[in-house]
Amino acid sequence: MHPTKQHQFEPKIVAFVCTWCTYAGADLAGTSRLQYPSNVRVVKFPCTGRIDPLFILRAFQKGADGVLVSGCHPGDCHYMAGNFHARRRFAAFRHLLDFVGVDLKRLLFSWVSAAEGGKWVEVVTEFTESLKTMEPMKEFRALEGQEHWSSLIDTPELQESYDAIP
Amino acid sequence: MNQTMTPLVDPRIWDETTAALRAAAAKLLTDGTVAAVVGYVAGRRSGSAMPAIVSTAAEAETLIFSPSCTNNLSLYLTRSKKSIGARGKLAVMVKGCDLRALAGLISENQLQRDQVVILGLACPGVYAAAADRRQPLSAENIAGKCRECSVRTPENVDQLLGRLPELPPLEDSEAAELARLEALTPPERWGFWNGHFSRCIRCLACRQVCPFCFCEQCLCDRNRPQGVEGSPRPAGNTAWHIVRAMHLAGRCAGCAECESACPMEIPLNLLNRKMAQELKELYGYESGTEAQEKGPLTSYDEKDDQSFIK
Repeated sequence: MHPTKQHQFEPKIVAFVCTWCTYAGADLAGTSRLQYPSNVRVVKFPCTGRIDPLFILRAFQKGADGVLVSGCHPGDCHYMAGNFHARRRFAAFRHLLDFVGVDLKRLLFSWVSAAEGGKWVEVVTEFTESLKTMEPMKEFRALEGQEHWSSLIDTPELQESYDAIP
Repeated sequence: MNQTMTPLVDPRIWDETTAALRAAAAKLLTDGTVAAVVGYVAGRRSGSAMPAIVSTAAEAETLIFSPSCTNNLSLYLTRSKKSIGARGKLAVMVKGCDLRALAGLISENQLQRDQVVILGLACPGVYAAAADRRQPLSAENIAGKCRECSVRTPENVDQLLGRLPELPPLEDSEAAELARLEALTPPERWGFWNGHFSRCIRCLACRQVCPFCFCEQCLCDRNRPQGVEGSPRPAGNTAWHIVRAMHLAGRCAGCAECESACPMEIPLNLLNRKMAQELKELYGYESGTEAQEKGPLTSYDEKDDQSFIK
């Protein structure tokens, strides 16, 4: 018998970033050889204004423990006003998610410019640390499994039958 | 339910409105101002009403206004249903709540104000979805949205028909429910909403009756790439209802047609109302009876709150 390994919970984070600021900022963090947690998966968009709230939902449904949305600082948008529109939309969306019962600690918004490699590292590190103190996001994943024939494979009855094997 | 409930107002008030309505509609049709009137006629079952489009003065005599006139007729005026407007100007019967939707459609460029003659109806309230239409309108069977109505006498209309009687104060049960939900913890709210959403059969009646769901192809019907799962399973249902509420945020006029059309009795208007309340708090926006240049989510202010952004 080997001792049971204690794995620390490694949260999966999906980061939706704009190509002009945060993506370049994350790139700068890389080229400057700054270290940050590898929990984050970066998805590049033309602008934060292109990030539909549906993408955030979809990320949670498909197993993200946290979602980070990041773009240009207000006034710096490559398309003039994309991030201003996004700011309103996400402000509203946060309230909606909260009302439906999603923990808002799982959703983070930030402004990271192309010159702020350090801030990117800081944002990602802090977000990862705070998610590590929480349980894995199970709400949406549990829904994905409901009324789905292939997901009910670990029922208590099955476990019992396995345990009964001498 | 056999016992008669106490009527909220004198039922003759609707007969007066109906008479005024028929006269106004007949006049508009005779003098050729409009090609047709979008209104209500009596339904097949006693006391019920259904939407109809009438185009002659004789047919105008069949128009009615009663507490059964729940439908929001502005639904028939979106650009996606343009075929009915092709023959000329239309007159449309609107209650206050419908007028807000119509104003929203004008704001969103679905129709022009001068293409319609708005027949505003002074409305004491309509029946809740499940109410027996043969009973008089009472404090028990009035729709939830009518309890807190602030637009019983629609403003900015071409003709105002009927008069509003004195109404006893009604308890705003929806606001109480909203406050109760807000006081719960997030996991409790998740349980509440998913209890409702998991019953959803995805008939999409909420989408069909919504005047603002006028997209010719709904995002939720696309499957390459798929945005929202189409089958009525809990995961897709929750996503659908979140997306629906989000797409209506800052646009919804609060006619609550989605809720009354829902066969599974999901309290959809609570979501709409919550979003309306948040957008009012955040950006001071309220849907009104006049067309507005921009909605809260199609405009911005450089000084908008960003305390939630790192």
